[in-house]
Amino acid sequence: MYTKGGLIFKHNDSETNDGGGNMNSKTIYLVALSLAIFAMMSAACGLGGGGTYKIGLLSPQTGPIAVYAPGFEDAANVAIAELNDNEDGNVFELVVIDSGCDGTQAATAAQTLIDSGVVGIVGAACSGATLGAISVASEAGIPMVSYASTSPAVTTASDNGYLFRVVPSDAQQAVALTAVVADGGDSNPAVLYMTNDYGSGLADNFAANWSGAVCTTNAYDPTEGSYDASTIAQSVIDAGCDSVVLVSYATDGAAIIEALKGQGFSGTIYGADGIADAAFASAFTDAAAVAGVIATKPRPGAESSAQSTFNSAYSAAGGDSEGIYTHETYDAINIIAHAAVEGSDDIRDDIASVGSNYDGASGVHNFDSNGDVAGTGYEVCQFDPAFTCTRVWTASGGLASQ
Amino acid sequence: MEFLSNNFRKIHIPHSWLILSLFLFIDSYIGLRFGSGFLSWSGIPKGDILWILQSLEMMAFGIVIVNKAVKSSTGKFKALALVSTPVFLFLLVLFTLDTLLKGKEITTIFYYNLSSISLSALYWSAAYMTVAVGLALTYKVQKYGNFAQAEIMLLGSYVALIMMWSDMFSPISDASSDGILNYKLLVASAISAFVICGFIGVIIDKSVYKPLRKRFASAQVLMITSLGVAMVIRAILYMRFSAKTFRFIPDKDWRLLSSNVEVPTQRVDVVVGSRMEEPFINIVSNVGPYGFSYSKIALVVGILIAISLLMFIMHKTILGKKMRAVSDNPDLASISGINVENIHSTSSFLAAGISGMGGALLAAILPVNPELGLSLLLPAFAVIVLGSITSIPGVIIAAFIIGIVRAISEPLLIGAGNALDRPTAGGFAEVMPFIFLIGVLLLMPRGLGNALHEWNVSRFKKLEKQKRKSLFFVTDLFEGFSRFLTQAINLVVQRLMIIKSHRLFLIYIIQVKSYILELYLEVLNRIGSYLRIALNMAKWSTPQLLKIDKETNRGSWIFFGVLLFGLILISLLLPSVSYFTKVMQIARIVALLGIFSLLSFSLNIHSGFTGMTNFGVIFFAGIGAVLVGILSAPIETNGYGWGAFEATIFAVLVAAIIGWLIAYPTARLRTDYFAIVTISLGEILRVSLQAEPLLRAGTVTSAMGISNYELPFKNWWDSGFSDSVGSFIGLPGHAPYVLLLATLSISLCFLTWWIISLLLSSPWGRILKSIREDEEVSQHHGHNILSHKAASLALGAAIAALGGVLWAWLNTAVWPDFMSPIRSTFLIWAVFIVGGKGNNKGMFIGAFIIVLVEFIFNVLVVSRSSSDLIFHSLTTYIDKIFGWIIYDLGGLIWSERSIIEAFPKGTVILELSYLKLALIGLVIIVALRAAPKGLLPEILFKPKRKGKVGENE
Repeated sequence: MYTKGGLIFKHNDSETNDGGGNMNSKTIYLVALSLAIFAMMSAACGLGGGGTYKIGLLSPQTGPIAVYAPGFEDAANVAIAELNDNEDGNVFELVVIDSGCDGTQAATAAQTLIDSGVVGIVGAACSGATLGAISVASEAGIPMVSYASTSPAVTTASDNGYLFRVVPSDAQQAVALTAVVADGGDSNPAVLYMTNDYGSGLADNFAANWSGAVCTTNAYDPTEGSYDASTIAQSVIDAGCDSVVLVSYATDGAAIIEALKGQGFSGTIYGADGIADAAFASAFTDAAAVAGVIATKPRPGAESSAQSTFNSAYSAAGGDSEGIYTHETYDAINIIAHAAVEGSDDIRDDIASVGSNYDGASGVHNFDSNGDVAGTGYEVCQFDPAFTCTRVWTASGGLASQ
Repeated sequence: MEFLSNNFRKIHIPHSWLILSLFLFIDSYIGLRFGSGFLSWSGIPKGDILWILQSLEMMAFGIVIVNKAVKSSTGKFKALALVSTPVFLFLLVLFTLDTLLKGKEITTIFYYNLSSISLSALYWSAAYMTVAVGLALTYKVQKYGNFAQAEIMLLGSYVALIMMWSDMFSPISDASSDGILNYKLLVASAISAFVICGFIGVIIDKSVYKPLRKRFASAQVLMITSLGVAMVIRAILYMRFSAKTFRFIPDKDWRLLSSNVEVPTQRVDVVVGSRMEEPFINIVSNVGPYGFSYSKIALVVGILIAISLLMFIMHKTILGKKMRAVSDNPDLASISGINVENIHSTSSFLAAGISGMGGALLAAILPVNPELGLSLLLPAFAVIVLGSITSIPGVIIAAFIIGIVRAISEPLLIGAGNALDRPTAGGFAEVMPFIFLIGVLLLMPRGLGNALHEWNVSRFKKLEKQKRKSLFFVTDLFEGFSRFLTQAINLVVQRLMIIKSHRLFLIYIIQVKSYILELYLEVLNRIGSYLRIALNMAKWSTPQLLKIDKETNRGSWIFFGVLLFGLILISLLLPSVSYFTKVMQIARIVALLGIFSLLSFSLNIHSGFTGMTNFGVIFFAGIGAVLVGILSAPIETNGYGWGAFEATIFAVLVAAIIGWLIAYPTARLRTDYFAIVTISLGEILRVSLQAEPLLRAGTVTSAMGISNYELPFKNWWDSGFSDSVGSFIGLPGHAPYVLLLATLSISLCFLTWWIISLLLSSPWGRILKSIREDEEVSQHHGHNILSHKAASLALGAAIAALGGVLWAWLNTAVWPDFMSPIRSTFLIWAVFIVGGKGNNKGMFIGAFIIVLVEFIFNVLVVSRSSSDLIFHSLTTYIDKIFGWIIYDLGGLIWSERSIIEAFPKGTVILELSYLKLALIGLVIIVALRAAPKGLLPEILFKPKRKGKVGENE
């Protein structure tokens, strides 16, 4: 695959020719070394091809949300294993690299992925990392499908149409949440959320859509050791709130719910897709605390088996129990794989055609012109303490039982 | 009364200050209350910026008053002024908010739940102490700031987890609740965490820091080495335990919802703003009790026991006397017959042990993952600085104060944030310790512990000897206990010497395990011939390179050339799939090189030439990045719609002005204090990016982050120029935009380099160096130290801001994570120390190395699942060896269960990203071991003399 006509190669050819008879030992070494390494590079890069597709995964393996990286990778591996079991002759390889949840590191990582010849990149999780990486990927003509970046900045990024995401923007889920809280008969909720894109985005939208009073709003940095769950819980109780809307991930969400219950809070606790998973209960030390928590999550397509198939495959593969956005990761890998196999001139068209009415584990996806998905409504689930989803919310129909 | 009035006359405030403060007060009051005042008349600041500025004006009034009151009062009045300052400032904050909210006709309530506040303060201070005490001890005896202290604490947490999973204790942790608290596992974990982490501390000290001490490495070299150590430890934790979160359960009863002590409490509601008939303060007594969990009590009690033991050792035993002697003067201590190296071991044992024990106890409260330590490290630094760095009692008091500050500020921030449409304001609680610390250092430039020390000295002078004799029995008891402790610790330290036989152990491993041999053969097979060539080259060139004196101008340039050639060769050799992607790769390397060099130049001006330990590189770079981002984002997305270049010039100027301004209050501080002030400023800016809506732009919804800003020459480049460049260098299509950024960045880097070298070889450069060498001497020569320092800060800040601007352009978005010091300031410090401080060539080479290692190790990372990459077959062997270490070697230490918990899929694989983290850490450690002065040390100016004046005389 390596084109040998480039600048670097010309330079070395001339050096070999100029060497001639009067080379001293230093130049011999230099020439030998550079030739040897070029041979190595050609060998290294010449092996690919023949129905093998590499898909890159930008995973936040280090940095503030490193805890969730195992979940993303497990979900991606489930998707890759399924794709390879298809027996259609195509081989898929998952190339995982650390995004560090940081724009600079993610961009360098995207460059390395592109250097190694991926057909598409799944990621990143953190919005800052996604925006850093897309500046590299869009130049190289490699598509990116993010599985967890919820920031509206992803919509407006200058990406030449190479950036997609399978996670809907927060605005709609906020509307769903307001409907659920109002239906629960609560009129004076506290809003607790994380100071990151997901937390502040969802909380802002909730406040914008909520017609009643908000009792108190409190934001915290979800990195362990930066917040004290009991202080946060106490602030809710002191303000006399009747319920809590908690926009959190699994680990910090569990800590805050435990603290709330431990301080004697008896109101309803509402959460969003960050905690809406049966596995959330395993984040608790005292499982009694999870009872009664209500949470919304994106709704899978009607009569679709994708979600249940994924769920059983994920747990069979020993997937991380505190994983979040695993369904989205699985869908993103599948969309890139299918688009790569289609193989028309422009991969953007392939992704757009695959991503039209795509029935995935995290819902039915339709990419709009910005590469965003609108979602197909939300399921409303409850821990009693078993996790059951009995109601749905759609933009047109509002709340209804399933 | 006469006493009062006499002393009152001593409080002498010059009239100009009085008038200024009065003006500030009245102007800000009418501004906040009635929307008038100079700021609003000027018409420049609008909207939220207006009231923020007016509130700051009010706070400025308070600071002027306090500053003058403290400085001009003496004796008891000074103490009174100092003590009442925090109260006064707190009341002023309340008054400011009250006025502001009255003006806006809003009401808000701050809920002060007394038990919640005080117990939360207690928890925070204990959590900070776990790291801070070890830090202070290391600072005291070994004289460097240990960035690995938080990781050592985390090791303790994982020791607790391993104990929990062990066959012996897992029944306790798994048993269902029976209503009885079982202490066994908790106590056993705390003690073993103390011992094991202590041992690890000694091993690290012996293997990493001892060789550096022998070569008289500076404190800064030790500190940056500890940064490398921190990376390696964190990487090992990631490798062994994965990134998952674990919970330490000493026994179910410790962690139930009901596992807490119910403390009765009262609530004080402070009502501010436009209140009608409500009183300002409202005390509510019928509130439910506050639950303080058992595990938090265990942490507080455990840490306090450990610290009192430490204090006992330090002050009542011979060992402590020796430690204090080594801390005061190592040479003198050594002459008096103290084995200084042994004292170093003891101190690292105690420092690591206490943090490790704290980590084990903290694991029973917080979910544990390898990133946990970082969020406690920087506040712990703030704690030790407030406590005057080396004083253990100072640390305790400082930890309590900072805990209280944090706990008290939280309700205030939540209440004010809700009222002022800033719901994220609660996020600021995290940086309140830093804001408080900066305030204290401005008033008491020598810290808290210093005052404590002076107080102690005067107290001891007064203490009569008679009183001591009456305590004869107690001291005798102490003496006996102290002898026992000393002997026990000495025994432990001597046992550690057995580790010297580690070489035999290694040989055993290599002989027994064929995997390692196989890996070695595979490496030989893959790159052996190239390796041999490289080694031969090294063999050929080393003797000649060694002859070169790197500290002469010529030698430095030759070395620079050799290193640069090697680095360029490596970057050309990095694999890439096509010529186009190779061009992108090289352009990215060059762009990053330019940015990192600029930032290192800035640090070199501040720390290398002027001698100010600046840990706020990212603060100045952040000012550049944030300002350019916001100013050049479109107006409809909360930006200001400026062009990229006006915004750049403005940002660089603002950074320079801020650099100039912060010099005046801070440049008098001693270097460590200056370091913490600058690092705090960076953290405050990072949290402001998270929490302050005005620092968001790029989307219509004002979501977090700054994006969508204008990039320089972007339209011109896209409108055809990229095609001609592309065809010029032989690309199939148009050239990537990053190529333009690379050119821009490297040209600005060279331009700056040239300007700096002109400036530094001018008389002004020599003044800076003289300030670095000895401030007092250069003051005697008639130089105004402060204004030169300010100029140096301003120049460096401008350069860093320029680097930040370029960085923002390269990333196309500025997110709060951008400001994280581990990915910026600490890396630049590694560049600065590894490259060789005081030498800009070293900065360039150091930046090149730091940029390139990321790319090189990334190739290793992606080769795991990429069957066509060079290192792919190596990963099998790496996994085999790793599996052997985990199962066979580690199996001697930990149970089967602890392996399954971390690797639930049953296959043990080494995540190469973590290996990469470890390798980057190792690069820093090894580079500093090889060249403690840096790769290219400073070229000292040696004037030529007539005749031979040399070493022989």
